[in-house]
Amino acid sequence: MAASLQSAAGFFVGSRPAEWSPLEEEVTALYDQHRGPLLRYLGSLRVSAADGEEIVQEVFLALFRHLRQNKSRANLRGWIFAVAHNLALKNRAARLRHAEVDAPGEYRDPGPDPEQLAAGNQRQARLLAVVRALPEQDRCCLSLRAEGFRYREIAQIVGISLGSVANALERSLSRLSRACPEGAERT
Amino acid sequence: MRERNPHLPNADLIRLADGECGPAESAQARAHLESCWKCRSRLQELESAIHDFMQAAPELPELPSPDPARAVFRARLSQLAAEAPPPRWNAFWRGVPALAAAAVAIATILITFGGTVNADGPKPRTSLTPGETRPVSLAEVCAVPEPDPEQDNETARQIPVEMQRQVFAAYGMDPAQAGAYEVDYLITPELGGAHTVRNLWPQPYSARWNARVKDRLEHRLHQLVCQGKVNLATAQHDIAKDWIGAYRKYVTPSSPR
Repeated sequence: MAASLQSAAGFFVGSRPAEWSPLEEEVTALYDQHRGPLLRYLGSLRVSAADGEEIVQEVFLALFRHLRQNKSRANLRGWIFAVAHNLALKNRAARLRHAEVDAPGEYRDPGPDPEQLAAGNQRQARLLAVVRALPEQDRCCLSLRAEGFRYREIAQIVGISLGSVANALERSLSRLSRACPEGAERT
Repeated sequence: MRERNPHLPNADLIRLADGECGPAESAQARAHLESCWKCRSRLQELESAIHDFMQAAPELPELPSPDPARAVFRARLSQLAAEAPPPRWNAFWRGVPALAAAAVAIATILITFGGTVNADGPKPRTSLTPGETRPVSLAEVCAVPEPDPEQDNETARQIPVEMQRQVFAAYGMDPAQAGAYEVDYLITPELGGAHTVRNLWPQPYSARWNARVKDRLEHRLHQLVCQGKVNLATAQHDIAKDWIGAYRKYVTPSSPR
C-alpha cells in the first residue's frame, strides 16, 4: 500500500496548482488536526495502518466535496469520524469478501506486544488485552469517548442509541476495572 | 432511606462523571455520593480504569510518519479541487461544451444505432445489468496495472460457465446463440466492478461497438482515474450508464471503424 501511495504521488507531480484555495487550506488543516486521532480510532476498528491511511484520505476528500457543496458545517469533527467509521466497515466487508483470495494475513490480532511484556509493563499489557477482547461496539464507544466525544455524538457516529452508548461504556469500564483492580501493582 | 436513595449503578456513575445526566438526576446522584462511600469508591475504581486506559491508549497503534501521506493527500486534494464540482466538467473538459457534446453523442447513437440498440444490441439492459461495484479504494484500483487494450486479457478474467449461463438465461437467449456473444463485465473489475451477474452482460462479437472497443474505453478510464482527472465513482457511473456515450466522451467522439 505504501508503494502504491508513493506511485500515486508520482502521478500528480507537475500538476500542482500555484496556490491553494481557502477551502483546500481549511480541509488540509482539518486533516493535520484529525489524522492521528482518526488513525487511532480506525486501529480500534482493526483497520490495518495502510488501509487506515487510505481511509483518512478518502474521508477528507469527501469532506472537501461536502463543504464545496455548501453543506452543513455543524459538528464537522463528528461528521469526519462518522464517515471514517462507515468507510472502515465497508473496507472490512470488502476485505472479508476477498479474504480467501488476496489477504488472508490481514486479520491476525497482534495480541499482547512481546516487547511490552518483556519491558515489565504487565498491567498495561493486560489492559490492552482487555480492550482488544471487548465487543467491537464497546471498543468503538470507549475510543470515541476517549477522543472527547459526547454520548450523543458517539451515538450518531456508531449509529446506535444513547442508551446503548451508556451501556457500552459501562461494560467496557467495568471490565477494565475488574481486570486491572486498583490495588494491583503498577508497572 | 435505601428505597429513596439507592446505590448508583456503574452506568449512572459513569454518566454522572461524564456530565451526561440532567440537572435533577445529577443533583440526586451527587447527594447520594456525598453520603455513600461505597459508591464513591466504585466511582474511584471506574475513574482509575479511565485513567489506565488513557495511559495505554495512545500506544494502541504506532502512527506512521505523517509526511508522505500528507503529500499524497495534498496532491489528491488539489486534483479534486481542479475538477469542477459535479455535474460540470469544465476543469478537465475545458473548451468542450459538455452538454452540447453529450447531446451530439446521444443524437449520433440514436441515428447510427436506432435499429440495432435493442435487446441484442451492443448495450446491456439496465434492468438486468445495472452494473455493480465492489468497495475498493483508489489506491487499490491504481495498484493494479492498467488493462492493456492491445493484449487479449480475456483469459485473465474468465467468467465461470455457470455465471455465463445465468446471464444468457436472464437475457432470454437461446444457448445456441451464445457462441456469437461474449459475457463481459459492464464495469470492468479494473475499475472496481463487482464479480456479480448484475455486472455481466452478453456482448456481441460482431457489432461495431464490440468488446475490443470497450477495452479501449476501460484502458482510458483507468488512466484518467489514476491520474486523478476523473473520479472513480464518476467513471463507474458513466461506463455503467452508457458505455458508448462514455467512449465518445473519454476516448474519441468518432465511431470505431
